[in-house]
Amino acid sequence: MNIKWAMAIDLDRCTGCGACVVACVAENNIPVVGEAEAEKGRLMQWLRVARYWDGEYPEAQAVYLPVPCMQCERAPCETVCPVYATYHNEDGLNAMVYNRCVGTRYCANNCPYSVRVFNWFDHKWEKPLDEQLSPDLTTRSRGVMEKCTFCIQRIRRAKETAALEGREIRDGESVPACVQTCPPGALLFGNLADPHSEIARKLKDPRRFRLMEHLGTEPKVVYLKRQKGAGR
Amino acid sequence: MLDRRQFLKLGGATAFASLFGGCDKVQRTLIPFVIPPENYTLGEALWYASVCSQCPAGCGIVVRVSEGRAKKIEGNPLHPVNRGKLCARGQAALQTLYHPERLSRPMKLSGARGSGTYAPISWEEALSLLMVPLKKVKAEAPASLLMLTEPMRGHAGLVAGRFMKAFGSKYRAAWDPFGADAMLSANAAVHGVRDLPEHDLANARYLLSFSGDFLETGISPVHYARAYGRMRGDRETIRGKFVHFGPRLSMTAAAADLFLPCTAGTEGIVALGIAHVMVRDRLTDASAVAGRLADDLFAYSPEAVERRTGVHAHDIAAIAEEFARNQPGIAIPGTGAATGPDGAFHCAAVALLNVLAGNVGKPGGVSFPNRAQAFAKYGPEAALLAPSPESGYAGMRDAIEKMRGGAFRMAILSGATNPAFTLPPSLKFGEALSKVPFVVAFASFLDETTSQADLVLPVPTALEAWGDDLAPVGHSGAVTLCQPVVNPFHDTRSVSDILIAAAKELGGEPAKALAWGSFRECIEKAYGGPGGEMEKALQRGGFFGESSSPRSAARTGNIALPKPAERPIDGDPKAFPLALHLYPSVTLYDGRGANLPWLQEMPDPVTTAVWRNWVEVNPKTAAGLGLADGDGVTVTSPSGKITAHVAINPGIASDVAAMPLGQGHTRYGKYANGRGENPITLLPAGETYALQATRVALTKTKLATRLVRFAHPEGQWKISNLM
Repeated sequence: MNIKWAMAIDLDRCTGCGACVVACVAENNIPVVGEAEAEKGRLMQWLRVARYWDGEYPEAQAVYLPVPCMQCERAPCETVCPVYATYHNEDGLNAMVYNRCVGTRYCANNCPYSVRVFNWFDHKWEKPLDEQLSPDLTTRSRGVMEKCTFCIQRIRRAKETAALEGREIRDGESVPACVQTCPPGALLFGNLADPHSEIARKLKDPRRFRLMEHLGTEPKVVYLKRQKGAGR
Repeated sequence: MLDRRQFLKLGGATAFASLFGGCDKVQRTLIPFVIPPENYTLGEALWYASVCSQCPAGCGIVVRVSEGRAKKIEGNPLHPVNRGKLCARGQAALQTLYHPERLSRPMKLSGARGSGTYAPISWEEALSLLMVPLKKVKAEAPASLLMLTEPMRGHAGLVAGRFMKAFGSKYRAAWDPFGADAMLSANAAVHGVRDLPEHDLANARYLLSFSGDFLETGISPVHYARAYGRMRGDRETIRGKFVHFGPRLSMTAAAADLFLPCTAGTEGIVALGIAHVMVRDRLTDASAVAGRLADDLFAYSPEAVERRTGVHAHDIAAIAEEFARNQPGIAIPGTGAATGPDGAFHCAAVALLNVLAGNVGKPGGVSFPNRAQAFAKYGPEAALLAPSPESGYAGMRDAIEKMRGGAFRMAILSGATNPAFTLPPSLKFGEALSKVPFVVAFASFLDETTSQADLVLPVPTALEAWGDDLAPVGHSGAVTLCQPVVNPFHDTRSVSDILIAAAKELGGEPAKALAWGSFRECIEKAYGGPGGEMEKALQRGGFFGESSSPRSAARTGNIALPKPAERPIDGDPKAFPLALHLYPSVTLYDGRGANLPWLQEMPDPVTTAVWRNWVEVNPKTAAGLGLADGDGVTVTSPSGKITAHVAINPGIASDVAAMPLGQGHTRYGKYANGRGENPITLLPAGETYALQATRVALTKTKLATRLVRFAHPEGQWKISNLM
């Protein structure tokens, strides 16, 4: 089966609670950098919930926008990597080979969505916090770029299970940690190449838009605009 | 020349060298690739079901365990409260288990009382240190034992309650800083049921929130956030509308279609304004109630309400009409409204809207599930297993008074609610506790409260303990089971286990009342033991599928109009121009999350600040005071003075200064200490526990620290494209 993983983010449901951020940190062995490094803009979280202010009191509004890696179909990060550390995999994901990365940070520089984070240090997990580290993926060392992978370890696991049972991977069988935990159900993940998948149906919604569409990056993270008023 | 024998020798030596030469280089990293090669089988993980204990909502969790270590927490998809979903705090609960500062051994005080210096001891010594004074107190003055805990649900509550009763002391105080006191008394007055309501958001068409915080920290944030998502998007043709009134643009308010700021402490008056319009324009079916209230509601015309609350009269009229015409609709009060000095009034006024809308007991409305029913077999003891979700403030004040008077010879402390941190300092909890000759604390961490004990006994975290639970809302009558998802990481014993063991050693009444071998045995006896139903329930996480019949609200025709007590909050408006609005932190809750680095580093949804607290001010107010975003300020109230950084919130009323709770620890470990100051120190010690209880003044101050905020790098992006 053809696979094209995609994520839908329904801004009408998103409450900005940040459960996705901590779920991602827990799933992907993402280090804690501390206050001083955070001040330098070196937070390592792969997923951020951007908050925008709009209008002035008393009409002021806050709007939340969860921003993971957009997994662009035509990714600006891939073309600038001198060592092919970031590449397009068979499912259409921008995968990273950490071992190849030499830390030029060209990719982060070229990413219009600022979703890539760089390991400025060898981050330490104070014992015994390291007991929690997921065995499914590595920790990254100093000088290596990293970013959201759509929880590729979960995809991999689901694919292996499906292969063992001699079947295709089922819709919803593998979802990233952020999608799994999202309390209001704002995030949806699935295979866009499968016309019967929930996400393929959801993305027929006329509310859909993508971030910075004019750049032609063809992101596979698709947003659904907030609605207004009662009724549809 | 090399002969055959030599060749083999050399060859052997080389092989040996190549085999063992690498021994000094231990492989320390995991296999470093994103996609492992074919056939690389990943370790199979096991999932165990239990209950989250990061707040009292009681969400079901499943924990991924790989090679004996818990790796990830997720929501239990079968659990009726959260259906597989979990909030940030629940996700971070894993860090309590493997926290570097977790107490791993019993400790006895080695310095002066309250110094927080302890020496590790063995469990034998610790238990004898506990039992000797306990026996003495039992023999001489059993009523002088105090037990001070967080609200304990399920059989842990039964064990504690029975122990104290059999011991002969009635002084058992439970403290929850976000207890629903106001909502309970409002529901008793309006609905005739002294319990928490269940709001069926998922089926509602209209939602009115009065300082609601149901999406972030309310009674059951994950339950309601999930229902909120369903209200917005799960129905083919209906999208529930959400209107929020309150003094601050909070995370919950940001989700609203319409946010209407009102003056702090006037939420109930806005609700009565809406009620006025509903009655005046005959928009309600509850004509009996409407007729009775019409005269009293006369004073709450939209124009009069506008003068007091700052909400435009035409907005009130329009929303009253929309609310009445889009039924089922729900009105929800939040912590911000309920924890003012007039909290009960605000909650009652909001509850009245539900009565006028006629949605009590209907789908998409308000119902009152019967919690105690799940434990009906315990008769009068059922209240120990399903305690009322109140704060217990009166009990705490009483206990403090008695401690100061020297009424107690021994105190047992347990739970995460940390009264020394969450009670206003003017109550002098710490000083009172120091009057108790012997204090033993059951804890996983040293904090402001437990570090004042003589003896600290380490307890297992919720992920390592047996137990059971009944959630406050969304439980559908289902009892949830907790089990150790991993072998205890440290040598710990649970409070219940120690109480059972202590009862046995005391003999007599206590031994009879707690006649189990262990707490696990208590749970197994209660639920049918291993094999059979309990085993299945442990696998699923609880006894789901049983439904309790909702109690009908008894009193709907016989309501009096709630009267505001008009208790002014502390502080002269001239000297202290801003009302202080305190709210539970989305990440740290009541402060218990402050020692978890994941939560400290999660950007706050409204301010995007990390690792520190702040004071939110309206941009105009800030400009008037000469304050810019990030500036240091001294926040002064009649009761105290702290410093913080300014965070401009464009959606906060201009006469309000808002601060999150949870930060400002001094003895909660290196991740929590020194990250701002505790805003609770600004509060007066009133008759009722009130967070919205004082006015403050802000003055610019130079601070050595900075407020780190997670600004958005894609600043060029226009918000108008999002909407």
